[in-house]
Amino acid sequence: MSVWAKVISRLLIALMIWTPYQIATAGMIGTDQVATSSAQADRTTVLNFMNRSDVTGKLQSFGVDPSTAKDRVAAMTDDEVQSLAGRINAMPAGGDVSTAGVILIIILIAAAVWWFWQR
Amino acid sequence: MVLAALNLAPSAMKNARLAAGVFMLALVCGCASLFPQTAKLRDGLPDSLPPRVELKEVPFFAQTEYQCGPAALATVLAASGERVTPGDLVSQVYIPERKGSLQVEMLAAARRHGRISYLLAPRFDDLLRELAAGNPVIVLQNLGIRDGWHYAVAVGYDYDEAEIILRSGDKERETMHFWTHEFVWMRSGYWAMVAMPPDRIPATADESRWLAAVSALERTGDARTARTAYETFLRRWPSNVNAAVGLANTQHTLGNLTAAERVLRDAEERDPKSVIVLNNLAQTLSDQGRDGEALPVIERAVALGGPFAASVQETRNGILKKLGR
Repeated sequence: MSVWAKVISRLLIALMIWTPYQIATAGMIGTDQVATSSAQADRTTVLNFMNRSDVTGKLQSFGVDPSTAKDRVAAMTDDEVQSLAGRINAMPAGGDVSTAGVILIIILIAAAVWWFWQR
Repeated sequence: MVLAALNLAPSAMKNARLAAGVFMLALVCGCASLFPQTAKLRDGLPDSLPPRVELKEVPFFAQTEYQCGPAALATVLAASGERVTPGDLVSQVYIPERKGSLQVEMLAAARRHGRISYLLAPRFDDLLRELAAGNPVIVLQNLGIRDGWHYAVAVGYDYDEAEIILRSGDKERETMHFWTHEFVWMRSGYWAMVAMPPDRIPATADESRWLAAVSALERTGDARTARTAYETFLRRWPSNVNAAVGLANTQHTLGNLTAAERVLRDAEERDPKSVIVLNNLAQTLSDQGRDGEALPVIERAVALGGPFAASVQETRNGILKKLGR
């Protein structure tokens, strides 16, 4: 790789890290920073960036349209992204209703309730 | 425990009253520990809650296949006045290959519609309190044996009947016994959320968690909405300096520099040692071309040091540059 290619790719990486998620106006310390200490800020920024691309990639691999996936991840806070990163497969996804299970459980509970609540 | 007890029940009852008594005691203990929150509710409703609540005006969107996430979210957003249908939300929360929606995305998507998402504390009491305050609540249930995750919207309860009233799936009005509801709800760790318009605060809001929720809206939503939310916050908790910083930041973003300055001056009076307040005040003064006034303020911030020293130094350099030093 030529020297220029290296410089340009570094610049692009830096831009990717900073542009989409920077909200505070120049010079102002952002509200979301109030709770975190800036000693960790650089490390956290890089980590957040990696987490965000991890989650965006995962959403895409689950059939979400790429640009939509980016918007969806952008709407999450750093903590939310962190809670998903590397764990998205194990997180519950509400949507499915398996009727057989429901009926079994409802009968069981109804019986227990009937016994207990009548006393 | 319940299963075994049910199988034994008929013969035990026939044999003797004593056996029946012992058995019922075991069942009661078993149930109470299986459904701890319902058992506690049995002792009485929390103070000042009405025995019956039903938010009849909350709209209903029937769920199409697997899409209870968009339907539940549309229900609470529409109830708070947002014009939105489940179809609009599919591209914001639904994951095709998982055939469902993640909890985090339910929270994040509500913010994209100018609402503040707030995760309730995992308590049955709090669910009832929000309903009594007029706020429909999205709950995550597990209706299957393993993986039957399902979002429903709680819209009311009837304490005497021990029933919770839900908009769920294709049912506009589903009633579920407190026990049943706790059983399917506890499996998600009692996950429940509300989505509030910026001029309201949930009945069960905790000061610091609510501030974090508002700051999340500021991060992703539009500044005007966030400003309203901070103003509402400060009416309830006027001495919260972090909320004042948030309000000033939104005013600054919107270009209202004098308003931002006023808020920061108030905050400075209450907390003269806040580096963030001093830094942002100095920057706001400098942005108004008043660098001479800004300099002593930023010098105070520099003297205090702390974790924001680098940002403070940057602000100071900017001011010195504009002063030509």
